[in-house]
Amino acid sequence: MTSVVTHRRARLAEAMRQAGLDVLVLAGNAWQNDYLRYATDFAILEGQGLAVARHDGEIVLYVDSFLEAERAAVECAGIEVVHAADLPGALDDALNRLRNRRIGGAPYRLLPRRIAARAKDLSLSDETAFLDALLMAKLPAELDAMRRAARLADDGYAVFLKAARPGRADYELVAEIEAFCRGNGVDDNFQIIGVGGPEVRGMAPPSGKRLKAGDLVTTELTPCVDGYYCQICRTLVVGTPTAEQHAAHALYRDAMEAGIATVRDGVTAADIARAENDVFRRHGLGDYVTSEYTRVRGHGMGLFADSKPHLLENVTTRIDAGMALIVHPNTFHPVVGYMVLGDALIVTNDGCEVLTRMPRELFSVPA
Amino acid sequence: MRRGLMGWNAEELPLAVLQDRTARLQAAMQQHGLQALLLYTNLVRPSAVTWLTGFTPYWSEGLLLVARHGAPTFATALSKRVANWIRSVSPLGEIVNGPRPGTVLGQRVAADASVRRVGIVELDALPSGSYDDFSAAAPAVELIDATALFSEARRGADEAERRLLARADAIAAAALEEVDAAGAADAGSVAGQVEKHARLAGAEEVYITVAPDLRADRRMIRASPSLALGDVYGLRVSLAYKGCWIRRARTFASDQRASGRPDAWFANLVQAIAPGRPLAEQIAAQVRPLGAELENWMAESCVGSYPLQVVASSHLPGGRAPVEGDFTVLTIALTAGGVPWLGTAPLIVGGRL
Repeated sequence: MTSVVTHRRARLAEAMRQAGLDVLVLAGNAWQNDYLRYATDFAILEGQGLAVARHDGEIVLYVDSFLEAERAAVECAGIEVVHAADLPGALDDALNRLRNRRIGGAPYRLLPRRIAARAKDLSLSDETAFLDALLMAKLPAELDAMRRAARLADDGYAVFLKAARPGRADYELVAEIEAFCRGNGVDDNFQIIGVGGPEVRGMAPPSGKRLKAGDLVTTELTPCVDGYYCQICRTLVVGTPTAEQHAAHALYRDAMEAGIATVRDGVTAADIARAENDVFRRHGLGDYVTSEYTRVRGHGMGLFADSKPHLLENVTTRIDAGMALIVHPNTFHPVVGYMVLGDALIVTNDGCEVLTRMPRELFSVPA
Repeated sequence: MRRGLMGWNAEELPLAVLQDRTARLQAAMQQHGLQALLLYTNLVRPSAVTWLTGFTPYWSEGLLLVARHGAPTFATALSKRVANWIRSVSPLGEIVNGPRPGTVLGQRVAADASVRRVGIVELDALPSGSYDDFSAAAPAVELIDATALFSEARRGADEAERRLLARADAIAAAALEEVDAAGAADAGSVAGQVEKHARLAGAEEVYITVAPDLRADRRMIRASPSLALGDVYGLRVSLAYKGCWIRRARTFASDQRASGRPDAWFANLVQAIAPGRPLAEQIAAQVRPLGAELENWMAESCVGSYPLQVVASSHLPGGRAPVEGDFTVLTIALTAGGVPWLGTAPLIVGGRL
């Protein structure tokens, strides 16, 4: 069976040929690794990586960590791996050998200064948008990976529900999830959490807060399968939910479902965000969909947990069939506090395939 | 991303310690004729900013500006809501939010006519977006590399850092004790067990890699359920506690006699590393009585923005000689009695972690 990275590399080489690009310099690290991973398939943990990808399919990965170079040599088939303690220097030398070619970089803002400083000399152009287009419009093999990741997101949330009980600290819940992830072949997981009541304004990494009766516990859980992140957002209550918590959750569910109902090939990111936000506005909660209280109303998913496009009313990116998104109207609610609900989906020609199977309910665990 | 316990505890990391560190750096800046210093941070390169502020980003990036006097200023593209979280997990003074942190700090530098030279830690590797924004906003300022200056100023772990490192090491060592060498099913489940133990103990981050069959290959890779474990395998835990990173690696053998003697030898070696003499000499002298074959070694430390980077190794002739109080993570690979063995442990040169 041909691996997903083989499909990606073939597509990248073909897209480069069509765009007249001879060479791409791709940067990545454990924070933002989607551009680098697209070509190399390396799930970098430490240090920085830079890949030189040629339109003929040859790829050289430079990493500045000795341990990561050893790992990449084992884990990444079909590419050359070079350990370079002085990463900008090594790339500088490599690019000297590629003069008079058309060279692009992505993501350009993360390229080392030493390399970007030679943009004119090297005919180095910003090709971030070129890669973004490939990252957003996924191949069938990539969508299969998203579906597998969605199953593990569902299963992971079930583990989270089982772990949540009064007296446990937020980081202990994450520990249970990470053990589940490692035992199920999940390389990485993006997860933030919120614990408490109306004083909670958002989610963050665990701070040591212990669960108590009446708390809302919110989480975004985003396991990574074969490089592809798929997210689920759910809220639980410790104890029996109040009428206010139920009412708030019903509003978030209406908003999320309004957003999902809008998704189809040809709409814009703004259309989806507007559909979600209109529900809040109809309930007099329009202030709470502004940047004062929330970041985005959903976003793309794939080789990065927080991919483009961001679902916001001022983002006019066209939504195409084959994109993977999460629609999540996560925000602060003035009565109950921060609440989240989000389903992952794949855009189709006439709607979407919802990947998340976990019920869209306000969960509760015994107090 | 960071998803373990994050927070600031004034007893673990007193504000006075951070102020002392900043003062050390400011003194070095003055000696080198720098009126300001710029440091980059993200979750992969957090350590220079963490050393000065106690703050590690769980996501995204930021820039820290250290002026000649006073507390540093942190600039981030993260929202004001996240700034509230930053304040809850660090004693950072001023935090400025904006879509282009480099521009904000560049404008600040440009507004002070007395600032003529600004040092940048790891200038060549600074992301071009940050550099372009900063230099465009402060076009008249000379920007020079301050990597060596910073490395020298932060050399030597103070008491607070030693305590945090010791806590990190205790978590990693205890997590590795959880492994049942003979009963482990697969690399993924062993990694999950170790990681869970470490995170329950308060680890901020944990990376686990495995050499599933040391007889075949000593290189460490990501653990997964599809990796069967051989009769001799290695497990490495790279772990952070409150922004301080250590590594520990151990060899696990179904016949514990194969790893027991090198384990004891390595524990003694770690205690015996002394200042002044090159590590290569010290290690070679200690290996001889063991009667084992030294395959390779590596010493890492925190000298810049990376949590750990190689400062000396068997692949790098020379390297810096250890100095009293240096924090070092030592890795040794041996063949003892025909059986492959490897170990990694942290140490303080001439002292105790």
